Order: sequence, then C-alpha cells, then structure tokens
Amino acid sequence: MNEMSWPPQVPPPPPSSVPPPMPVAFSGKRGEFFELAKRGAALELVTLGFYRFWLLTDIRRHLWSNTLVDGDAAEYTGRGKELLIGFLVALAILVPIYLGYFLIGLEAEHYQAFASIPLIAFFYLFGQFAIFRARRYRMTRTVWRGVRFWMTGSGWIYALQASLWGLLMILTLGLVLPWRAAALERYKMRHSHYGDLQGSFEGRGWEFFKRGWWLWLLTPIALYIIPIAPFVYAGYKAIEWRWWLSGVRFGGVRLESSLPKSALIGLYWKVIGWMTLLGLVFAVYLALCAVLVASMSGEGLTEFFKTPELMRSIPLLVLLGLGYLVFALALNVVIRVYLTRDLWVIVLGSVNISGIEAAANVAARGDLANALGEGFADGLDVGGF
Amino acid sequence: MDSDAPEISKTPPANAAAYFDGTSSRRRAVTLHFSDRLEIVEGEQTLAVWDYADIRRADSPSGMLRLGCLTAPALARLEVRDNAVATELVSRCANLDENTPGRRGVAVIVGWSIAAAVSIVAVVLFGLPLIADRLAPLVPEAFERRLGDVADSQIKTMFDAKVCDNAAGQKAFVKLVTSIRESAGMDTSVQSGVLSSSLPNAFALPGGRVYLFNGLLAKAENADEIAGVLAHELGHLKHRDSMRGLIRDGSTSFLIGLLFGDITGSSALIFGSRTLVTSSHSREAETNADGFAIDVMHRLGRPAKPTGELLLRVTGKESKGLSIISTHPLSEDRLTRMSREDRSASGPPLLTSEEWRALKSICDGKPDSAKKPDSAKKPDPAKI
Repeated sequence: MNEMSWPPQVPPPPPSSVPPPMPVAFSGKRGEFFELAKRGAALELVTLGFYRFWLLTDIRRHLWSNTLVDGDAAEYTGRGKELLIGFLVALAILVPIYLGYFLIGLEAEHYQAFASIPLIAFFYLFGQFAIFRARRYRMTRTVWRGVRFWMTGSGWIYALQASLWGLLMILTLGLVLPWRAAALERYKMRHSHYGDLQGSFEGRGWEFFKRGWWLWLLTPIALYIIPIAPFVYAGYKAIEWRWWLSGVRFGGVRLESSLPKSALIGLYWKVIGWMTLLGLVFAVYLALCAVLVASMSGEGLTEFFKTPELMRSIPLLVLLGLGYLVFALALNVVIRVYLTRDLWVIVLGSVNISGIEAAANVAARGDLANALGEGFADGLDVGGF
Repeated sequence: MDSDAPEISKTPPANAAAYFDGTSSRRRAVTLHFSDRLEIVEGEQTLAVWDYADIRRADSPSGMLRLGCLTAPALARLEVRDNAVATELVSRCANLDENTPGRRGVAVIVGWSIAAAVSIVAVVLFGLPLIADRLAPLVPEAFERRLGDVADSQIKTMFDAKVCDNAAGQKAFVKLVTSIRESAGMDTSVQSGVLSSSLPNAFALPGGRVYLFNGLLAKAENADEIAGVLAHELGHLKHRDSMRGLIRDGSTSFLIGLLFGDITGSSALIFGSRTLVTSSHSREAETNADGFAIDVMHRLGRPAKPTGELLLRVTGKESKGLSIISTHPLSEDRLTRMSREDRSASGPPLLTSEEWRALKSICDGKPDSAKKPDSAKKPDPAKI
C-alpha cells in the first residue's frame, strides 16, 4: 500500500468477520500495484533515479502487507530513508575501493596488457557479500504477528563460500549449480530466525538436479535458438522456486510448494510481448524525431540522413535521450508488474504450510540490521527485490 | 481467558479486534474500550492502554486497519476489521498519519534530487575543467609515465600494431622529430615511433609518447604535413592534455554515474551525456595544440598550411552544423586557421626528398602490417 495514496479514512467495506482459513493468500489488487509502479516510474524520471529507494520500499510494503499467512498479514517496516543511507555508506566505502582497483589494475597492466581483468573476481566476492547483507536487511524488516524475522551469520564467510562455489561452477560449466544453491541456502536459512524459531533448509542439491538437469542440456541450444530461451528460463525459475520453498523450515513450520514447471512461462512471454511493443513504439518515435529535426534543419531529408550531422544535432540527441528514458521506465513498469507482482502472486498461490501451530506463540527476539548490504547491492547492481 | 484458536467466534462481540503484544506472536482476540485512552481488554484483563495521541497507522492489507503505538513495544499491533470500530478509532486518533511522509515528503525528495542534479552538472561543466587544470601539473611525472606504459601496451594490443623501425626510415623519423622537439623546447624524454596500422591517425600518450600510424604517412604528400601533425601531438604533451583529460573525463563519468545511481557508470545514457561534456573540453585542447603546432612550424620556418590540407584529406569535407559531440574542431576550420596564420617557407626543408621517401616506407619489410583491415574496435578515426 502506498503511503501517499492511502486515504486517511476508514478502510473499504469488506470487513466480513474472519478471513477464510487458507494458509497463504494475497489480497492486493493488481490495479493498485500498477498505479504504484507507474507513479514511481514517473517520480524516478523527475528525480533522476533517486526515488528508487522509496519506490522499492513502497513495492515491498504493498507485497508484504497483502500477504496473508494463516489469516494474518505480514508487514514490511523498512523505509526509503534507510535505503538511501545504506547507499550513501556503501558509496563512501566503494569509492576508495574503486580507486584502489584502478591503481592495482594500473600496476597489473604495467606487466601485461589487460592483466587487470581477474580483479573482477574481487567484485564478485563483494557482490555476494552484498546479497547476504541485503537479505538480512529485508528479513529484519519483515514482521508477522508482531514478531520480526532476523538473521545472524557472517556476510564475508557467505561471500567466500559463494565465490568458491562460483569457481566450481566455472570448472563444471554450471553443472554444480543445484549443490551450490543448496549449500548457500543452508547457510542462509540456518542463520535465519523468526522470533525464537530457528530456520533451516532441507532442500537437497540432488533433488534440484533431478528436476532440472534437462534444462542444463537445453541451455546451449537455447543460446542458438533464441525463441526457446524464455521457455528454458521460465522452467528453470519455476523449478528453483518450488525446490527452494519446499525446503524452507522455521522450527516445526514446514513450507511446501506445488508450482508446476510451466507456471511462469506465460509471464516471461507477456514481458517479451510488451518489450517488443514498447520497442516498436520507441523505433517509430525515433523515426518521427529524425524526420522532424531533419525538416527543421532546412536541408532535404535524404541529404540530412546522409551526413554524419544526423548524429550530432543537439535537438535530436535531447529528444532521443528523453525517449530512451521514457522507454526504459515504461519497461521497468512492465517488469515490476509481471516479474515482481504477478510472479509473487503465482508463487504464493502454490505454497502450503504445515505445522503452522508452531508459530502461534513465538517469543520476539533479534535486532534490526542496517541497510549497508542493500546499498552495496545497489552500487554493484546485484540485489533482488 | 486463553483462546488458542485464532478464529473469533461467529458473532463477534462489540468493538472486537485482534491484538499482538509485540513480545510474542500470540494472536489475542480483544475488545476495545474507548475511554479517555484506548483500553485493550482480553476477557476481564486489560492488556494495554494506549494514548490516542500516540497511536500510529501501520501498513495493512485492504479491509483492515492496523495500528501501532509509540509508547508500546515497537511491533505491538492492533488489527481492526470492523468498519464502525475503525471509524471510531480514526476519529479519535489525531496523529494517526504523522509517520507517513505524504505529499510533502515526496516534494522534498524531488526538490533535493533536482538540486543535486543541478549542482553535479554545474561542477562537471565549470568546476572540473578548473580542477583538472590545477591538478594536472601536480601529478608526478613517474606516475604519468606509468599510465603511458599501460596505455601503450593496450593500444598496441588493440590495433595489433608493431613499431616500425626499418633503418633508413627510422633515421629520417628521428631527424624530423628531433628538429620539431628542439624547436618546441622540449627535452629528450619524449619518445616517439611509427606504428604499423592502416588507420590514418596519430596520438600522444601521457608520459611523453607520440605515435604516428603508418596509415597517416601513406596519405601524407610531404614532410611538412607530417611535421605539423607531430608538432600538434607534442603540443598535447607540452600542455599535459592527456593527464588533464584523464582527470576530467574520469571525474566527469564518475559524477554523472553518481547522478544516475550507478557507480560504475556503464549505462548508455551516461555514455551519451559524458560524450557531450568531455568533447567540448577536448575541442578546446585540440585548438590549443593546433596553435602550438603553428608556432613551432613558424619557428622552424616552415608553413603550417600543409598540415591542415592533410587533415582535410583524411577526414573528407565535414559539413556545417551543430557539431557539439565532435571531439575535434571541423577540419575546414582548422585548415582555414592554418592558412590564415600561414607564412611562406623561410627555413630549409625538414627532410630531403630521399629521407622523405625513406620515412614513407618505414613500415616496409613487415608485410603483415599495412594490409591489415581496420580492426574491429575502430577508434575515433580523427584523433589527430
């Protein structure tokens, strides 16, 4: 729910005594989320992207507070300002690191041209650290029944593990991915808590492998025959979600997911459809701009297009830049509606929870974590939602 | 009263609500008593008493009013589904929406974002050139040379080029460079060479290195043309333009990257705006280097005009218009300037015709060089 569009009045009518006793449900309206994403994109345009912290927060607040588990809605207590501060802190740390990276690279290049490329590995390590810490931030901002989730564990140990597994991934051409996912998830879940319930992860790499090995074989083909790539990717995501959810435990609370392999294919094709449509609109816009500028320059159209001046005229560049921004933001709205909101709803719909009684009387524990990880994730372009 | 079952009975009592006390996840079915403060009562027992002024709204799904209280545990929540009770509560709690930023919050974000953008753009346009000018002379020469070494090996790899050093040609080249260098008043730390690439280009690297591509030699018709180009590149060295450019471009892309929230500065938009900004500075540097070249040629008693003619021959006619993203001034304008300030030759030719021929064929005997097509990563073809 968006803080600004929420009228300070009484909530709308349907207060029919008790929600039906289904384990997981989503009560948010699609139109509401679309409004939120649309408005956020417009504000991002005006603020040159600074609004992203608040938009991200609003999206999470909407998704969390409309997610009902055993009849009770979750709550996201994070705020945009925290993300902004996390970003600034990350900036303060990353800037000297980039400078050091530049200098070390310079030294390495001194011995051999392009020798600095392996240093990218260092940023991979950093990115994994960011992923862990960002997850910890999100967890500690997640509240259900007045008790928050929280996380322990070390971001650096996680990053080291993830990097070593990453190395194995390269050596085995990605075949160890299921075991990598299982090992990392075990580390994350073992250090996750809901009040005094400790989390754990029971998913096994072998099960993941059994369900998805054929996708591994299809991937090289998909790289050649692009149209099947969305099928492969959507299948992979569906298998991953199902496997991941089915392994999550909090004390005696067990999650189970029945997500079919084909559940997400439609979503990805819808996004591709919108991308194509928006791309076409953008192309038409480009052509119109070029013709407009050409006709204003006074030269003949064909002459104008022949000269390199086409790419040098300021009005054209400004129009292109603006068009590109709007195009990119429109794409963002599409991706947020389909791949964030709709995906969330589909995946939630597949979840069943057993042993929920174990969460009926859990003592609150755990402290808030800072948003440093989110800041790193933002600065390094890694993070999920 | 201890109700383990989360369901409320079929006919909910008046003022029914659900309460979570923030220390345990137990859901308590409570009734609310509206006195001068809000009393939250479970059965006979009063669980909490909240001041109306301290009650704040929390996020909730549609169809529910969810409240927290400043003086209660931070996560204590009261959930009201009944419309009438919710209305009652909203009317009593005056500061309900104090925590939510509202329109003013957004206005503050938008306002400061625009202010930040304006200040970054102002620094990029006016501050950085000043800073780069002051800072470039302070960079130690050793560091600059090291940078040059890096650029050197990268460029050789990128163009797959080797240094041409056929004896007669090299001798002529050294003679030409030495006379220009001495006339320009620069010491022997300047290194120079001809690279076997078919691109018609020449450039100066930080740390005193000047390279001429064989492709430019092939297009040149006499020694004066090449001399002017070399003098132009020496001008860049003398003014430490590449160091200045590095400081300026580096900081520009960093600041613009900052603005768009991407520290690495990789998106297309950043590239676009950076090109616009840096190229205008670079044109200034080119114009200065041209002036330097004209001076040097005059001191040598040789005409500057041939260099302009060579440039025009290389780039072809560039039509007029807003060439704001071009890194160099238009070739016509450069030729015009060089012709305007031209003097007839008063000194001896810089190379004898024999030496000139030797220089033209400096890369011969290395068959793999000249016929190489333009490499895939074609740089700006007019770096002269």
